[in-house]
Amino acid sequence: MSGRDERRVNDPLDLQAPPGQERALDGDDVEGRAGTAADRQGRGRDDSEKLDQYLLRRYHLYGDRKAREQLITMYLPLVRSLARRYASRGEHFDDLVQVGAIGLIKAIDRFDLSRGVELTTYATPNIVGEIKRYFRDKGWSVRVPRGLQELNIRLNKVIDELVPSLQRSPTVKELAEAANATPEEVLEALETSQAYNSVSLQASPNGESGEEDAGLIDYLGGEEEAYDTMEDRTTLAPGFAKLDKRERYILHLRFFEGLTQSQIAERVGISQMHVSRLIRRSLEKLREEIGELDSTQVMRPPGSVHDS
Amino acid sequence: MAERISLEVPATLSALCSVRMVLGGLGAGLDYSLEDVENLSLATEGLFHAALQTESCERFSVEVVITDGDLSVYSGEFRSADLRRQVEDGDEGCLDLCRLLRETVDEVHCREVDDAYQVVLVKRGRGRGTSE
Repeated sequence: MSGRDERRVNDPLDLQAPPGQERALDGDDVEGRAGTAADRQGRGRDDSEKLDQYLLRRYHLYGDRKAREQLITMYLPLVRSLARRYASRGEHFDDLVQVGAIGLIKAIDRFDLSRGVELTTYATPNIVGEIKRYFRDKGWSVRVPRGLQELNIRLNKVIDELVPSLQRSPTVKELAEAANATPEEVLEALETSQAYNSVSLQASPNGESGEEDAGLIDYLGGEEEAYDTMEDRTTLAPGFAKLDKRERYILHLRFFEGLTQSQIAERVGISQMHVSRLIRRSLEKLREEIGELDSTQVMRPPGSVHDS
Repeated sequence: MAERISLEVPATLSALCSVRMVLGGLGAGLDYSLEDVENLSLATEGLFHAALQTESCERFSVEVVITDGDLSVYSGEFRSADLRRQVEDGDEGCLDLCRLLRETVDEVHCREVDDAYQVVLVKRGRGRGTSE
């Protein structure tokens, strides 16, 4: 970084240049500077605070979306750190990170420059609050006995552990043994998972479904590029438009590439149980969407000829 | 000797729960993987949904048969030509019922029964199926 660059970054009031023409804050540079907590301690705390302030001002005063994205990137290590505290509760770590990122984005969006507090101070309770809300609100759509809920959560972990070691999907007996339950209890717990609602990670960061806001999937993870390269014409079929990128991608992998749920879980970076839920939910969404259509048009791509 | 379990369930989505539990229980007894059981459930559910749209009966018959470690689900009797076409004919590149069934079970066919037919879904025993 040049001396001039350093000066401007360290000067949060250096807002003379309009967005887009100011010194470019290179993403890699920023990420490198943000780095881990250890890195953060390593560099001057004042520099860090001033960089935060600079980016916050660029975003709040000029509406500079790039500054916002840089802040999100910078603080993802904090989100991961906080999410890790809750990872032992049966939810997939990556999912908690994405939920926590919602809290981070809300904190950045709502940050009040006039308060004079650090972003870390303001963001931490927002991130933790969002993760706690996830545990509280994702809930169960029907009343499920607590024991079965807990067994279901335990099964999530057990499946994640067994799949890599067995190199295949476990049997019910293997699950029962590993979860210290009977096969009947396992089956019952798995059946109750039908009543389990996962938070949609496609929800916009502000919790609304507006199309203008990018979903979290647009902020996080590296697989979304693969979603875009999927060119199978099924993505144009009626109903598919209602699915988000990840759901389309997962259905494509499962029903056109012939991957197993375990293989999909590995490729997408979520648990097998989550893949199972997403497949089921996506199929339900497709059915709902085409419910009004003639059944012979079900999930057919536009333009296909079908004699009914 | 084949082991058979016959169910007669209301033609409603809520009946799927009972069918899933039976399939899960039998699959567990056969040491099927969780994913195999899940796939068989997905296939049966897909068929059930399609049948609800195309058939006008109040109840569905589902017979689950275990033969040599394979699990077969006989559904019907159905009369809808539309349902049969959906089961047997798929469009390449479409996630239709035909593809759903063929990607989740090892064998799908229609079996004539008088003036009707049954849809037969077969999931092979462990090590002989497609998902291991």
